[in-house]
Amino acid sequence: MVFAHWVINLAMAYAALGFAFAIAFVFYGVGRIDPAAKGSPLMFRLLIFPGAVALWPLLLNRWWSGHTSPPVEQNAHRKSANSVKEAKS
Amino acid sequence: MSHVYTSVGWNRQKKIYDSTLAVGIAVYLGLFVGIGSVVHPNATIETLLIRGFGTCALLMLHIILSIGPLCRLVPRLLPLLYNRRHFGVMMFLMALAHGAFSLIQFHALGELNPLVSVLVSNCRYDSLRNFPFQPLGLVALLILFLMAATSHDFWLANLTAPIWKRLHMLVYVAYGLIVAHVVLGVLQSETNPLLAVTLGVGMVVVLGLHLLAAWRERALDAPSDATSSADGFVDVCAVEEIKLNCAKIVTLGGERVAVFKYDGKVSALSNVCQHQNGPLGEGRIIDGCVTCPWHGYQYLPDSGASPPPFAEKVPTFNVKIVNGRVLVDPKPNAPGTRVEPAKF
Ligand code: HEM
Ligand code: FES
Repeated sequence: MVFAHWVINLAMAYAALGFAFAIAFVFYGVGRIDPAAKGSPLMFRLLIFPGAVALWPLLLNRWWSGHTSPPVEQNAHRKSANSVKEAKS
Repeated sequence: MSHVYTSVGWNRQKKIYDSTLAVGIAVYLGLFVGIGSVVHPNATIETLLIRGFGTCALLMLHIILSIGPLCRLVPRLLPLLYNRRHFGVMMFLMALAHGAFSLIQFHALGELNPLVSVLVSNCRYDSLRNFPFQPLGLVALLILFLMAATSHDFWLANLTAPIWKRLHMLVYVAYGLIVAHVVLGVLQSETNPLLAVTLGVGMVVVLGLHLLAAWRERALDAPSDATSSADGFVDVCAVEEIKLNCAKIVTLGGERVAVFKYDGKVSALSNVCQHQNGPLGEGRIIDGCVTCPWHGYQYLPDSGASPPPFAEKVPTFNVKIVNGRVLVDPKPNAPGTRVEPAKF
């Protein structure tokens, strides 16, 4: 019982912080971390809102540390291609 | 692709897909409530709606999970995959309606926070017959929410496709939880065993399709047994084995490589589309570009780069043709590196 209260209260606090963050993020932050979001329509900003509430620590970290574009994915080919490039340079 | 995000990139196909879905859902709910009120004249409309939304979400989840392996087995069905994310979001909305109605109906009357009430109103975790099945539904709903909330391409780009895919693989966890939620719930309520039987059939279909598709794929991922020559190039096939404007897929360098034949030339690039990691080698050359079969992203075959203004790039491989055999260097070049195609 006490434990269930804890879990739900913690989740609600996380979501409340996420909500506050998401407002700032969808209107200001998103364009900073992803150039393709600059000048995007209001509907796009609303669509990513719930995800920003859920994943706010990740987005805050990217915004805070000054990333200006999305990361590039890694897979076996990309990793070994990068190491070849490094070896050459 | 690199452009300004829109909310939904509507086109004719997506409009048809979504309208079909919406009509299907409306018909299902109408029939469920209509037939339900005849068969169970004592059931309230709330109960019928809770069951209608729940079973609708369950049915949609089965279809969603079957689309993937079905498209691998029958490529003609690929258009179904094309807009599957909208299917997923609508399924989440159905599950949300079911969960929200249940919360209001069963948990909103007391003093307790309804969410706490879901967790504590039944604590018989030691009993199979009376197991608290509702928390399982709550966790599943949370997973479905995460997936729906991250379905926009913005999330795909910002999480990167491999991480996004791993997140969306949680759908199988959600599926397991929902199966347990329904089976344990049916054990406790008086509902018709029809639901349990249908669910059993659904599980066999989903599992069977996955196993069949995985079995078909197995051969592709076996490391290439092709011979490699002194300079490290690997003999992958004869030029004639590749159909014009199509590719042969081989596994080299720990991943699949697509070797395309077009226009008197052969080029090799990583098989992994930068959008959602779709299988480029199952696509075709259209208008001179390798076109991903999943959502149509395009790459120039010689450089692995999307034509401007797009910025996607995949790794390329050096190729040559010796005595009618295609030889590929298993060391990938940096994404977007132009490689002289081998001519035949
Ligand atoms: C907050 C989360 C959830 C709660 C509180 C909840 C609650 C319930 C309750 C109380 C029942 C029994 C209804 C009855 O017998 O009248 C039920 C059944 C069911 N639930 Fe959920 N559920 C949740 C999430 C889900 C999710 C995510 C799905 C996904 C598909 C789902 C699918 C079903 C199905 C198919 C049934 C059987 C309907 C029937 O008895 O005909 N539920 N749920
Ligand atoms: S995976 Fe979406 S276009 Fe290739």
